[in-house]
Amino acid sequence: MTGRFSDKDLAAFLAGTLEDEAVMEAIENAINADPELAERVEALAREDDTAKAVRTAFAPVLAAPVPERLVDAASPREAERQKSAMNAASLGDLPEPANDTGGSWRWPQFAAMAASLAVGVLVGGPLLTGAGPGGDMGGGALVLTGTDSAALSPDLAAMLDSAPSGEAVELGGQGSGTVVLTFRNADGQLCRQFRLDGPAATSDALACALGDDWRIEAFGRRAQPAGEMRLAGGDAAVGVIAAVDEMIDSDPLVGPDEAAQLEAR
Amino acid sequence: MKRLRKPDDRATQELIALIPRLRRFARVLTGNLADADDVVQACLEKAMLNLDQFQPGTRLDRWAFRIARNTWLDDRRRAANRKAHDDISEIIDLVGEDGVALAEASADARAVRAAVDALPREQRDVVALVMLEEFSYREAAEMLDLPIGTVMSRLSRAKAALAKKMRPSGEAA
Repeated sequence: MTGRFSDKDLAAFLAGTLEDEAVMEAIENAINADPELAERVEALAREDDTAKAVRTAFAPVLAAPVPERLVDAASPREAERQKSAMNAASLGDLPEPANDTGGSWRWPQFAAMAASLAVGVLVGGPLLTGAGPGGDMGGGALVLTGTDSAALSPDLAAMLDSAPSGEAVELGGQGSGTVVLTFRNADGQLCRQFRLDGPAATSDALACALGDDWRIEAFGRRAQPAGEMRLAGGDAAVGVIAAVDEMIDSDPLVGPDEAAQLEAR
Repeated sequence: MKRLRKPDDRATQELIALIPRLRRFARVLTGNLADADDVVQACLEKAMLNLDQFQPGTRLDRWAFRIARNTWLDDRRRAANRKAHDDISEIIDLVGEDGVALAEASADARAVRAAVDALPREQRDVVALVMLEEFSYREAAEMLDLPIGTVMSRLSRAKAALAKKMRPSGEAA
C-alpha cells in the first residue's frame, strides 16, 4: 500500500500543487487508512512561504494590546480577596510575554499578573532602589500592589507630580528619572512618559493621572546589548511607545503650559 | 518570601499568556476582531470554570484552543452570520514597527488576510492550527477530531486557494 504513491506525489499533495482531484482524494483516503503511510507523509511536511505569509499577515493581532475584559475573564475569582496580600515577586517570576514586544508589559497584563500571582509586583530591582510603601519590599522604583492601584515610590511620584519634561531627577541615589513627554489622553487625564536610568539598565514607562495618584499604563526595559556603551538617546521600549501612540490625544505639553497643568491637576 | 500561590496559578498565568494567540486563532475563525474577542472572553470564562479539569502535564494551549473553537461552534447565530472584516489593518498603527517596511508589507498582508477570510470554514480551522499556531498535522487532527489525511488535504486545498490569490497578477497565465 505504502508504495503506491511516490514521494513527489505526496509532497505535491501536501503543498497544494496536485491538480488532479481524483488523485488528491485517493491519497487522502489512503493516508486515513494506513498509519504507516501517514507517518511517511508527515515526514515530508515542509515549512512553506504561504505559511510564513499568513503568519506575517496575522502577526499584528499578537502584538496588539490585550483588551482588559479578556484579562479579567482569565483572572481568578478570589483576586479581590487576595488583593491585600503584599508579597513581592520579581519580574523573573512572570511568564515571558507571548509576543515579541521586547519584554514590555501593558497595564492589563500587569494587573492580571498582580491578580493571578496574588502578590504585588515589584518593578525595578537592580534597576533602581528606593523604599517601597511596604518598607520590606527590598527596594524598587515602582510597586504595584493590586489590580487597580499602583503605589509608586515617593521619589518617583514626586517626579511625576512636578518635574518638567527633560529634567533628570535623582531617585533614591541609585539612578535617575526623566520625564520625556507630557500629554493628555482621550479622557482628559494627564499622562507622562518617562525614562528610568539605573546602573544596570534603562527602562521606559508611561503613567497617567488617576485621582491623586499615577497609574502605570505601560512599562518596558530597553534592549541593551551587554558590553556596549549606553547611548544617550536610544529607542524607548516599543510597548511603551505603542501605548503612548495609542493614548495621546493632545499636543505635547511643554514649558510654562506643562507646569501650569501639572500644578492645576 | 512566602508565596500565596494556589496550585492552579501556573495554569492561570499560562492562560493569560495565551490570550494574544487565542485572539489570533479566533480572528481567523470569526473573520473580525470584535467577534473574536467575544469568543475569547467566553472561552476564558469556560476555561477558568473548568481549570480543575485540565490535566497537568498536558498542553494547556491545545486544551484552550479546543475550548475556543467549541465556543465559536456552539454560538450558531454568530457562526451563521460570520462577517469578515479586515480590522487588523486598523490596529497596525499601534504596533510601532518600522513605518516604511510596514507600509510596503501591509498591502500584501491585507491581501493574505482577505484570502484567508474567504476560505471555507473547515479550511480556516486547519490554516489557523497548522500554519499560524504551527501545530503538527497530527496534533491538529487530534484537536479537530479528524483523520490526519483529511487535515492534510484540507490544508493542501487551502494552500492552493491562497497561492492563487497571493500570486502577483502578472503570473496568472
